[in-house]
Amino acid sequence: MMGIGLKAIYSVAKKEFADNVRNRWIVALTVIFAILTLLASYVTGGGSVLGGMEETVIGLLSIAAIFIPLIAVMLGYASIAGECENGSMGILLSYPIRRGEVLVGKLIGLGSVIVVSTVIGFGAAGILIAATVGAESGVAYLSFIGLTILSGFLYLSMAVLFSTIAKSRARALGMGVVLVFWSMIYGMIIVGVHMATGGDVQGLITGAEPFPDWLYASIIISPGDLYQLGVMVAFEIRQVFGYTFDVPFFMTTTFAVMVQILWIVLAVILAYFSFRKRDI
Amino acid sequence: MNEHHNPEIAIETRNLSKRFKDVQAVDSLYMSVKRGEIYGFLGPNGAGKTTTIKMIMGLIQPTHGNIFLNGIRIDDGFDVEHRRDTGYLPEQVAFYRNLTPVQTLDFFCELKGVDKSIVVPLIEEVGLTDAIDRKVGTYSKGMVQLLGIAQAMIGNPSIYIFDEPVGGLDARWVKVTRDKIRNLNKQGATVLFSSHILSEVQALCDRVAIIDKGKLLAVDTVPNLSERLHIMPQLEITVPGLGGRIPEAVYTVPGVETADAEGDKLLVTCDTGARMDVMTALKEAGVEIRDFRTIEPSLEEAFVKMISGGGD
Repeated sequence: MMGIGLKAIYSVAKKEFADNVRNRWIVALTVIFAILTLLASYVTGGGSVLGGMEETVIGLLSIAAIFIPLIAVMLGYASIAGECENGSMGILLSYPIRRGEVLVGKLIGLGSVIVVSTVIGFGAAGILIAATVGAESGVAYLSFIGLTILSGFLYLSMAVLFSTIAKSRARALGMGVVLVFWSMIYGMIIVGVHMATGGDVQGLITGAEPFPDWLYASIIISPGDLYQLGVMVAFEIRQVFGYTFDVPFFMTTTFAVMVQILWIVLAVILAYFSFRKRDI
Repeated sequence: MNEHHNPEIAIETRNLSKRFKDVQAVDSLYMSVKRGEIYGFLGPNGAGKTTTIKMIMGLIQPTHGNIFLNGIRIDDGFDVEHRRDTGYLPEQVAFYRNLTPVQTLDFFCELKGVDKSIVVPLIEEVGLTDAIDRKVGTYSKGMVQLLGIAQAMIGNPSIYIFDEPVGGLDARWVKVTRDKIRNLNKQGATVLFSSHILSEVQALCDRVAIIDKGKLLAVDTVPNLSERLHIMPQLEITVPGLGGRIPEAVYTVPGVETADAEGDKLLVTCDTGARMDVMTALKEAGVEIRDFRTIEPSLEEAFVKMISGGGD
């Protein structure tokens, strides 16, 4: 009787998926995302304007790095606070389901929406790439999609955590926006810190004087950089927009993946405790 | 679970209290709702009604005190089996915007382990058949409320808890909702519902609890409550050609408090038992009575009196 209600979790996940996959914000973001990835892969690879898989990955990466956090935050921010605010959470919790089950069900359901969005967003581009560059890049491309989905899960679990902490959906959204913004500006912060500690831009561009290891290590607090660096290392990309990256030995894709998983686990645990004691 | 449980009691709270930062929302509440009754929870906005109901539903953790549903103690929210036997309609009802009513109720059936074949008939029962293909996000407030009632009925629970079920609804939906509550009760269910609309409580309830500032002020039947508050029913007698005079005979009857006359209408305030005596005395005095009716004391009077400290 005290077992985990797998059926209840499945029901919530299914409901969340059905409700949110029709969310017009998510649909709109996914469509724009897909159009942009298609354009980017055409320009960088398909049309052989610049040529090569490397440019394609960099193009797609910079698009995904904006759209995936947006989609995940849009999906997650209202998941708890919004439902508490409008009253549907009260009804849901009057049923034989525990709060932990509601939380896990929501994460799975919303996570599935992210998988669908990512696959749609990258799918069209993937077909184009396979047709022009060739199918041999297929495995690499799949791992790119996998890393993107993982990043989406990270933002989602953070947005859901914010949603359990925040009193209102507006505040939860605010926290989500701060996280996205933080991930976007962290690269600049790193450059700033690097300069302040004696580095210079010239050294970065030529690769003569790369970031010190500790600055690389500091990206564990920036989900966006974890994602981007994880992908770049996986594709052995050393140069982006003129900057040369000479990553330290520990900065592997596995490392980036593990740190992101740690983020997700911590976010879910905190969300659980915060949701459990929340007055609905 | 609880060796002291009286099987006649469906909902019980003992010493139930909730404190939000600086507000004592509910203060040592002892309440027991008998099986099969309609129990009205009456009080002004902010009296603690919703907080009490949410504690009963496990949505808010009490600061202290205990809650029993059918004798089972509700505690940490980990044991949720008892919720199969309750139907709840919150003050603010909302569902999932992008789902249809069928998808919505299917979901709730899954959670309660109830066969989904009841969903379409249930939607029909609350009168939403015409809107069965629309997304719930397009529904009006009244329609959402009806879907809320349908949702509460899943699995035929023995206990219904409705928080302000007719609040903010227009007359048509109020009637539908009221009929629904009566029906559920006729089928044997216990109904606890809160309201700040006195006429609603008066029309539906077997017993009424009056709550204010988190404290129970009184619990009784509507007539008893009136009696305890010394609000006497008024007798309105139509006498043709009365002309605003009060027949002397009225004053000879013991138990008559006051008498008044207005045109053809004679108004007598008296004890419940003295009403027949008044009629007899008037007849014997040769006064022609065309019509009469009793004006029951409104709970509103009792309520205002109680809250202003004028009660016992």
